[in-house]
Amino acid sequence: MQDYLDIVRQVLDHEVVDSNNVPCGMVDDVEVEGEPGGELRVTALLVGAGAWANRLPRLFGAAAKWVFGGRRTRVPWDEVSVITERIKLRSRATELGLGIADRKASRLIRGLPGA
Amino acid sequence: MKNFVEIFLGILTAMGGFVEVGELVFSVNAGAKFGYHLLWVSLIGTVGIIAYCEMAGRVAAVTEQPVFNLIRERAGLDVGLVTLVAANAVNLLTCTAEIGGIAIVWQLLSGWPYRWLIVLAFLFLLLSVWFLSFQWIERVFGLLGLLLVVYLFAAVYLRPDWRQFAAGFVPRVPHLETTKDYYVFAYFAVALMSSIMLPYETYFYASGAIEDGWKPSDITLNRVICIVGFTLGSLLSVALVVVGAQVFLPRHIEPQLPGAAALGPALMFGRLGLILALLGMFFAFAGAAIETAMSGAYNLAQFFGWPWGKFRPARDAARFTLTWAITFALSALIIVTGVDPVSVVEYSIVFSVVILPFTYFPVLVVAGDRGVMGPFANGWLANGLGWFYLVLITIAALLAVPLLIITHGGQG
Repeated sequence: MQDYLDIVRQVLDHEVVDSNNVPCGMVDDVEVEGEPGGELRVTALLVGAGAWANRLPRLFGAAAKWVFGGRRTRVPWDEVSVITERIKLRSRATELGLGIADRKASRLIRGLPGA
Repeated sequence: MKNFVEIFLGILTAMGGFVEVGELVFSVNAGAKFGYHLLWVSLIGTVGIIAYCEMAGRVAAVTEQPVFNLIRERAGLDVGLVTLVAANAVNLLTCTAEIGGIAIVWQLLSGWPYRWLIVLAFLFLLLSVWFLSFQWIERVFGLLGLLLVVYLFAAVYLRPDWRQFAAGFVPRVPHLETTKDYYVFAYFAVALMSSIMLPYETYFYASGAIEDGWKPSDITLNRVICIVGFTLGSLLSVALVVVGAQVFLPRHIEPQLPGAAALGPALMFGRLGLILALLGMFFAFAGAAIETAMSGAYNLAQFFGWPWGKFRPARDAARFTLTWAITFALSALIIVTGVDPVSVVEYSIVFSVVILPFTYFPVLVVAGDRGVMGPFANGWLANGLGWFYLVLITIAALLAVPLLIITHGGQG
């Protein structure tokens, strides 16, 4: 059993699934808290284009926000239930404000036969 | 018994789904220009696609992670995003070429106007993916693509010189007249290898493993399907080279259009041969169009963490569904403008090899990681083949675009 967690290797850019194992984004960034010289503590996962676009060079980041929108959802660290190759949350996507774009897109096709 | 049927169907669908429009054009042209001298490239390409699809399928079965999940995780956001954009641009180009190929085949069969047939092909593909389950998509297009076996019979009936044929599998460069001819030979070698190792095949194969619900217990199934199915599929590609060498080379014809390949079976078996060849090409191209459009959707969904898969109702994977539908629409729009499908094929093949190293590296790293894969991690053979092919395709990737420019797309 590993007694430490490498946030960059084991959490960042990993898939996030909700309590029903439905994919609801990636860990696009992490929020950390602490003081210079002191201990850093991860407080939340950040999910959405508004989070990953900030990690790109400025021009590309602005273009990404224009294409994908600037939404960023903060998921408190306490919500994380299991960390494997994917990060599993304790709640459902809807309760955390995740997967909104998919629900909107779903409205476009829901009425079609076979959807 | 269930396992046996599953393996049998898997092998047949892998074989029937092996050939697509780019491979058909480049294989026949390679035979028409250089006889059997490029057969060794088909062999090298086949072992490469077996090695990497086996790894991607194994990783998917063990970790339930498809390729673009791994790329995002291992290559990081920046490199991953560049790979995603490039991979989906190539997927779009390949899908465009396949739709053009379908319209050409339908035109040869019906004589109807080409542009209307593009619209019909678009509607046919859209409705097929919408209404068919993943398993039926695999079966219908994979199994009916097996009509291409008529090329195998044609290749044998064309009575090739078997000694020359066998010598073609030994890697060597033939004596050519000018330096330019050597460049054209190198261009065809790179393009033929790329056409066999197209990146979408790995994306689709790994995503398919998850669609089919593979578990670590399916690793043998994965291995058998890759080795036997792709080896049998590559026989079709070899048969196309033979048709090029036996039908077109002696007549100094460079067959430009995909439909020209059907002349081989037509010469041997008359009308029936022609119809079987054209129908086989239609199902092979349609299968590839579906795989490329779905690969585009798989890639985007896996990179951004959207719900994906045909195993979910369309309404529960809405962005995934819209992405493959939009890919079909964009591809049809591009080809309906009158762009030459063969030029599109050429660009899609050349740019495919450029992105191959970025696709394969994360797969190789994860498949060899004992921390992630446990006892299912790469052994010495998979690791050796993986690194050999990574070096080989990196060299091919560096040469591809300069060769495309120097040879004016293989024209010399």
